Amino acid sequence: MNNAQQTARVGLFFLLGLALVWVTFETLSDGKLFKDRGYTVVAGFDDLRQLKIGDEVRMAGVKIGSVEKTRLAGRRAEAVLRIDPDVQIAGDASATIVMSGLIGSNYIGIDLGTRGTAPLQPGAEIHTSVTPDINAIMTQLGNLGSKFDSALGTLGDSLKGKDGQPGLFQKLDTLVGENGSKITATMTNLQEVTAKLNKGEGTMGKLINDPKLHDDLLATVDEIKSAATQAKTFVADAQTIIDQVKSGKGPLGTLVFDETTANNLKATVKNVRDVSDKLARGEGTLGKLINDDSLYLSAQGTLKKADRALDGLDDTGPINALGTVAKSLF
Amino acid sequence: MKQITAILVGFGSTIQLLVRALSYTATLPRQWARFIEQCYLIGYTTLPIVAILSFFIGSVLALQAGYSMADFGAKEFIGTLVGLSMARELGPVMVAILVAGRVGSAIAAELASMKVYQEIDVLETMNIPPARMLVLPRLAAILVMMPVLAIIADLVGWYGGAIVAKYTHAIAIDPETYFAALRHFMKFKDVVNGLMKAEVFGFGVVLVSCNIGLNTSGGPREVGASVTKAVVVSLILILVADYFITDVLQQIFP
Amino acid sequence: MPSPSSSATRNPFTEAETPAVGVALEHLVKDFGSHKVLKDVSFAVSPGEIFVLMGPSGSGKSVLLKQIVGLEAPTSGRVLVDGRDAIDPATREQVRMALVFQSGALFNSLSVYDNLALYPREHRVASEAAIREKVMRALQIISLEDTADKFPSELSGGMKKRVAIARALVMEPQLMLYDEPTSELDPVTSASISEIIATLREEYHVTTIVVSHDRDLALNIADCIGLLIGGELIFNGTPAELRASKDPVITDFLNPKIDLKNPRFKKLAT
Repeated sequence: MNNAQQTARVGLFFLLGLALVWVTFETLSDGKLFKDRGYTVVAGFDDLRQLKIGDEVRMAGVKIGSVEKTRLAGRRAEAVLRIDPDVQIAGDASATIVMSGLIGSNYIGIDLGTRGTAPLQPGAEIHTSVTPDINAIMTQLGNLGSKFDSALGTLGDSLKGKDGQPGLFQKLDTLVGENGSKITATMTNLQEVTAKLNKGEGTMGKLINDPKLHDDLLATVDEIKSAATQAKTFVADAQTIIDQVKSGKGPLGTLVFDETTANNLKATVKNVRDVSDKLARGEGTLGKLINDDSLYLSAQGTLKKADRALDGLDDTGPINALGTVAKSLF
Repeated sequence: MKQITAILVGFGSTIQLLVRALSYTATLPRQWARFIEQCYLIGYTTLPIVAILSFFIGSVLALQAGYSMADFGAKEFIGTLVGLSMARELGPVMVAILVAGRVGSAIAAELASMKVYQEIDVLETMNIPPARMLVLPRLAAILVMMPVLAIIADLVGWYGGAIVAKYTHAIAIDPETYFAALRHFMKFKDVVNGLMKAEVFGFGVVLVSCNIGLNTSGGPREVGASVTKAVVVSLILILVADYFITDVLQQIFP
Repeated sequence: MPSPSSSATRNPFTEAETPAVGVALEHLVKDFGSHKVLKDVSFAVSPGEIFVLMGPSGSGKSVLLKQIVGLEAPTSGRVLVDGRDAIDPATREQVRMALVFQSGALFNSLSVYDNLALYPREHRVASEAAIREKVMRALQIISLEDTADKFPSELSGGMKKRVAIARALVMEPQLMLYDEPTSELDPVTSASISEIIATLREEYHVTTIVVSHDRDLALNIADCIGLLIGGELIFNGTPAELRASKDPVITDFLNPKIDLKNPRFKKLAT
């Protein structure tokens, strides 16, 4: 090989190296040869959670900038977002901190806002909204468990009798004696209600394992609600019975010796126990969910939906209704 | 005691050689042809093995990391792991080790045989300092070629990782995801960091190999001993220096 | 017997005055650890003279040469080249010395032409065209013009030594040193090398020191002969004086008898 050829190869090789360094530089620093391109907007939050400098800012899923700075401003935390210069953010667009992974990568998601709204000016403050934190969802799920527990405890106490007070059977003794046929009808109602509730609870447990079933949940919630309505009716019925018992109508002994009524009562109690057992299993499944990464992506969506379902349960759920049933009986 | 003295003598003579070679820096332009020849030998002919090796290092990193990271659901971050490891550590170190094995040994062998066959003595009597004619062009060439080799190693390693991440069943990460993760957590300074390390390693390897070659004494048998010594000392130098350079660079460019 | 008529002559390559230099060794001692190689050696070589240093193998001749060109520092005593201490690096810049090694020590990675051209190129003494002229002239002197593009590995031992001499010649040296120039060569090639050495001195009046144990070479071309045995200079004089010497050690070295009935190794053993 002659000298010129060798020189040419070395030269080419060196240029290749320079080119690669340049490409790497362009790729890794996003061509930020001029460091402060674009403009900034400020987003204030109660809690920045795990947001850090350099995290992406996305509008409708498209990257439009990055978090330049995070700071405390008085009673809130602020993130300064550097937005690409050719991107306009609608004045009513809202920013949220979105979690893209369980182990802590976040980005700021900005929605498109309304068409035709005046765009945000550099340095302006953007509206923010808060999405539930995964920790908050977990806490709510835990609370739900204890609510179930207390509701069932109250129901159990009421049935057995407590603190020397006469139990349900004693009281019903009188009640049924006086109102045999009515109570039979009422007990049948109660059995139906708890059976439905039981079915609803089963769906709840499954929901957490199988995200496909989430649509069923809404239906189930409706079902539970109607069960609650029925329960209210039952409460009203029971109230009437109590009134009748108090006013001293009918023999008490009838209830105890009436086999149909006794069987109905046993079935009711069994249903209630099943509910609590399944809840315990449901919680176990939740715990597993967090460790099982193959479910991790679907978990996020599911948890949000579960959260929505829980909100419903919290307000007008049948649990409270059941508690009311038991308490208002006596 | 004897060994300690030998090590100190080695250090001292290496530093002396460096100072002597640097004192002839002004003669570099007229040694252009030699410089180009060394660039060719050190850089161009080392490229294939650097490319092959770094491809597989990237691949293995992605494979190992892929299986373990899949266990806790972080396999989206394979790109980050491979990218950072290649750029900051494995790229420079593996290139330096290759240079020690391929270039350092060749330099030591060549200079040692020149010494044993009295060619060095002839140069001395001709008043042509070996530091000027033999050492300086090599040092200049490695300074120019080392970053080129290192950046190629980085990129080839990244792509090796990307390919493995995509086509391994248990991992199956798209190149888009892979490179997004790589870019997300990496800064250009990480790459520069690695290139600086490579520069120091390469320079050290060539300097040490030159010194060991020039200080060979005895018969042709000693040529082999010098080559072994050059490679061993180079490897030790690389890994020991790696620790301290990493530490220093971390302090300077956090 | 030719003797230098003047200490300066015109150099055929540069047309410049290149005065030959004198060499003096003063009480030179060289140890390698506890092994004494040179034990107080002193002699002087006049400018333009051929001095042949003879002695059996292992008597310290090659070590002595390295002291003269300043490749090794003596343990004590000193070597003066043109009045300057040989070990001082500045001496090599002031005085052009060429050492022709026993093996030739050609640069194996360079062609014969580049071997010869290395010195003038490195020291930028002439243009590339002038260098070419010089190199071809030197090759002509040793009658090896057609080897210019060959590599040392393609040459025979005798050719290597002649090329090494040519390479030294291109340096236009003021002092030429030969280390065993005729060893390992057949008698005819040896004679031709001896002729070349003598001719070079004849033409360029360069001071020449030859280390050899070749009797023919020494007795035919030397102006002065030194005999180094066991690290000591036991004789220093003209070839005629050497021949006339009755010292048994000297006569035994010059004309060793091969006595099969009473071999030397048996004497040494007892």
